[in-house]
Amino acid sequence: MENDILLQIKDLHAGIEGKEILKGVNLTIRRGEIHAVMGPNGAGKSTLSAVLAGKPEYTVTSGSIEFAGRDLLTMTPEERSWAGIFLSFQYPVEIPGVTITNFMKTAVNARRKAAGQEELSAGDFLKLMKEKMAFVQMKSEFSKREVNVGFSGGEKKRNEIFQMAMIDPLFGILDETDSGLDVDALKIVAGGVNSLKGPRKSFMIITHYQKLLEYIVPDVVHVLKDGRIVTTGGRELADRIWQQGFEGIDE
Amino acid sequence: MSKVYNLEAGEKLTLTLLYVPGRPWDERDIEVNLNGPGAELDLAGLYLCPDGESLDIRVVVRHNSGACLSRQMFKGIVGGKSRASFDGLIYVAQDSQKTKAYQESHSILLSSEARAESRPQLEIYADDVECSHGATTGYLNPDEQFYMRSRGIPEQEAKRLQMISFLAPVTDRLDGSTRAEVLDILSRM
Repeated sequence: MENDILLQIKDLHAGIEGKEILKGVNLTIRRGEIHAVMGPNGAGKSTLSAVLAGKPEYTVTSGSIEFAGRDLLTMTPEERSWAGIFLSFQYPVEIPGVTITNFMKTAVNARRKAAGQEELSAGDFLKLMKEKMAFVQMKSEFSKREVNVGFSGGEKKRNEIFQMAMIDPLFGILDETDSGLDVDALKIVAGGVNSLKGPRKSFMIITHYQKLLEYIVPDVVHVLKDGRIVTTGGRELADRIWQQGFEGIDE
Repeated sequence: MSKVYNLEAGEKLTLTLLYVPGRPWDERDIEVNLNGPGAELDLAGLYLCPDGESLDIRVVVRHNSGACLSRQMFKGIVGGKSRASFDGLIYVAQDSQKTKAYQESHSILLSSEARAESRPQLEIYADDVECSHGATTGYLNPDEQFYMRSRGIPEQEAKRLQMISFLAPVTDRLDGSTRAEVLDILSRM
């Protein structure tokens, strides 16, 4: 069914500073599906997530991306967020002087304003914060800390999942959220995704390893290599990659 | 014409200077003399030059006596075709041992045509002193902006948050209505 498609990428060519990194990506994600994108270093995985979120340094030279029936490439990063895209950053950015509370309050209310809703009351906002912080097992002092400043690697990733839970997106992109995490943190991240998924929502899990995919079971697995998706399969593809590496996975 | 403050032994002066549109910039040239042991200066300044302004700030702090403390923190945002400069001289006289003197001067440029300069100067004639100065000029960090925008914060609002956090060490010293006045000017920059 055509209208079940949430994201459709057609022949996408994109790069940065004049260097082409994505060389014709085709990808269709339906509502309710979890897709894993795997691939070796330098394959273009992070470029794909940056282009989807609208990072200004990246240039799309040809192709199209349609998201929920709209032309994504004409939209600003904030408009994409309002439309339901959320990127969990591989390297979350530190924002000195801005507390988690202030950051999230600004984000939540900007989103509500864009949707024509009233601002959340202080009480409702704090209740939402508390609930979602418990969800990623963050202590209450967390809300007073400056965004990602002095956070450990694991805390930064949990903060990404916390923000994703606050925003509850239509389409969550996890860009190597699992890298550098121990098993406990991995379970928190996976638990986050599993409780946010639903019949109308989709996820793209970008990863090097199949470990996370033991906890978040993908419906579809893609292998991205040298800027193209070279293979697409079911979850068994992830196991095959784990056993033989990316070398043997060409077609 | 410079404004001169003389601090004798044990006297403390806390000063927060504002150079923003709508206020007279009458204290652009300041001299503070620390004349007796235990004198302390805590000076902060904030300047906002949205467009077309030209501002020169000159501060001279003289440690004429030992065992005095001076702290300076200047922060400014310069946009459009404005220019701003900060000249800060810390002078420590020959016998002013146990002097502590610190100076920070930071500015952010909002456009490629805006200009800001910091010229810190230390003249130290005593040997048992603790002095430091730091000066930076830069643009708002684009990675921070993208991170905020990816969470649904509009670009202008993201920039405003960055500017507010940059100025916080000085705006935290202001009373509520003055802080509101500064934030109001910021939101139009």
